[in-house]
Amino acid sequence: MGTLGFAAVVASLPAHGVGSRQDLPLPFTAVLIGAAVALLVSFVALGALWPEPRLRADAGRPLPSPVARTLSSPVFRGVLVTLSLLLTAWTLVALIFGKDDANNPVPYVVYVWLWVGLAALSLVFGPVWAWLNPVRRLHLGVARLARLDPDASMTTRSPGYWPAALGLFAFTWLELIAPDRTTLFVLRVAIGTFVLIDLLGALVFGRGWFTRCDPFEVWSRLYGSLSPLYRRSDGKWVLRTPLHGANAVAVDKGLLATTSVMLGSTAYDGFSSEPRWYTFVQSSDLPSELLMTTGLLGMCLVVALSLHLAAAVSARLADIPVRGLAAQFAPSLLPIAAGYVVAHYWSLLTFEGQNTLIRLSDPLGIGANWLGTGGLTANHALLQPTLVAVVQVVAIVTGHVLGVVLAHERAVTLFQRRVAVIGQVPLLALMVGYTCGGLLLLFSS
Amino acid sequence: MTKMTWLKRPLTLALGLSVAAALASCGQTAAPAATPVTPPGHPAIGTHAATSSATPSSSKPTGRRMDVTVQGKKVTPAPATVKIAVGESLTVVVTSDHDDQLHAHGFNNLEKDVKAGKPLEVTVTGAQTGVFEFELHHPELRLFQVAVS
Repeated sequence: MGTLGFAAVVASLPAHGVGSRQDLPLPFTAVLIGAAVALLVSFVALGALWPEPRLRADAGRPLPSPVARTLSSPVFRGVLVTLSLLLTAWTLVALIFGKDDANNPVPYVVYVWLWVGLAALSLVFGPVWAWLNPVRRLHLGVARLARLDPDASMTTRSPGYWPAALGLFAFTWLELIAPDRTTLFVLRVAIGTFVLIDLLGALVFGRGWFTRCDPFEVWSRLYGSLSPLYRRSDGKWVLRTPLHGANAVAVDKGLLATTSVMLGSTAYDGFSSEPRWYTFVQSSDLPSELLMTTGLLGMCLVVALSLHLAAAVSARLADIPVRGLAAQFAPSLLPIAAGYVVAHYWSLLTFEGQNTLIRLSDPLGIGANWLGTGGLTANHALLQPTLVAVVQVVAIVTGHVLGVVLAHERAVTLFQRRVAVIGQVPLLALMVGYTCGGLLLLFSS
Repeated sequence: MTKMTWLKRPLTLALGLSVAAALASCGQTAAPAATPVTPPGHPAIGTHAATSSATPSSSKPTGRRMDVTVQGKKVTPAPATVKIAVGESLTVVVTSDHDDQLHAHGFNNLEKDVKAGKPLEVTVTGAQTGVFEFELHHPELRLFQVAVS
């Protein structure tokens, strides 16, 4: 197995890749009440919500001009880009020259700050990765050096969201299942391969690749569609109800797969810590990675297939063609996926997120303290069990409510008025199922 | 403005409902009548988890001693969750049929070697709240979880 340090890293292998604790299970009453609220809201929504589409692309309250001017200024954007490149460089130093032990910051940056932190930032501020993505800068640099037009595409065909769906699946496989996923060797291979493929994709398909096909930009963009902050097409910064953005998500091939991976992977994350599941996996004669990969894939497929089924029933009830309906409904799952992410990863982000900052102070593992955070210990205040349970229930139920309202809006847009109510029932039933499933996962972990 | 109100009403209502639901669920005790009402400041979650015995997954052993036997890849008793309170001690006795290494997440990242046939006894005290795993490394086996509340 190698040195003691290597063994120590291999040793600390809980579900997410980093972190040593998981949340306490939700109390059963919380599950009941959450499910009851979800059901109640769904029925009320059916009866009481508006009969005409109401979400307009140009809606929103403009921000005060000093704030708007700051957000629009190239200096502000330049500062953010520079900070992102600095953090990338710092992490690369730790990746290439750091020590392969439990204090290396790279697994924390990748599995906590990038994966969960990016989702959280995007939910609040919008699709921030479009500004922060270092591979975009790399592509621009390479294109300039090679005297290529960065927007030029080698083909008129587009892969839609499929590369993002596959990329997100690969990342969640890495995060949840890959053996030795916190070792530098695996991280080097993973990061190197990802950057290479991402860069190649951008060179082949042009800069538009990043908007639709870069897994992390799509992750940020889809969650960012739920943010109240938005820059309108006329350049004005506004605050608007989160549903406008999710309603305006561009539907393209692979969107259904992407949302299925987003929801399914978080669900599998919760499911994989169930004692009965891991008992089955570890005592089976089949290799555990095979079983776990099947579980992850299975969860994503369950989401995709159930959405297809709901769309098929909806189409039959509303008497419209079923083709493409599931993809049209897919954005309604985004609030539910966001609720799942907040519920499952709140404690990981608030606790291990601090540990990331502490470890970043010593990227080379030489006992330095370059950021001044090296001597601190992470604060437990946000891990208080009651607070965590409240956050989890509120996140899941809010996600459900937003999903229901969004599904209603899409139904009145897609269906004729007389069938809009009945047409959305299968989708509502599906969402109630997801929400109850999500609550049960938190209860039984 | 009418459009925004139409949207805001169901949203605000639902947000308010979900926050109320969450707070209500935390102040309550479990359904069975025998349990005493906990005062608001007390971490009700811990009492909840201990008394809601409805599901099979987070099951029985609430003793302060945990005996685990490992044969090959088989763990006896089947992995479950042991509940202890902050400040409470738990004595774990692990007997394995092969040389291995016991690792406890949390609990100061406890790591102890296990010799084949010789029971290893360790005592841990609940400090941080959460669910922590006890596992062996060769092969990777999860033995059980400890829920500290």
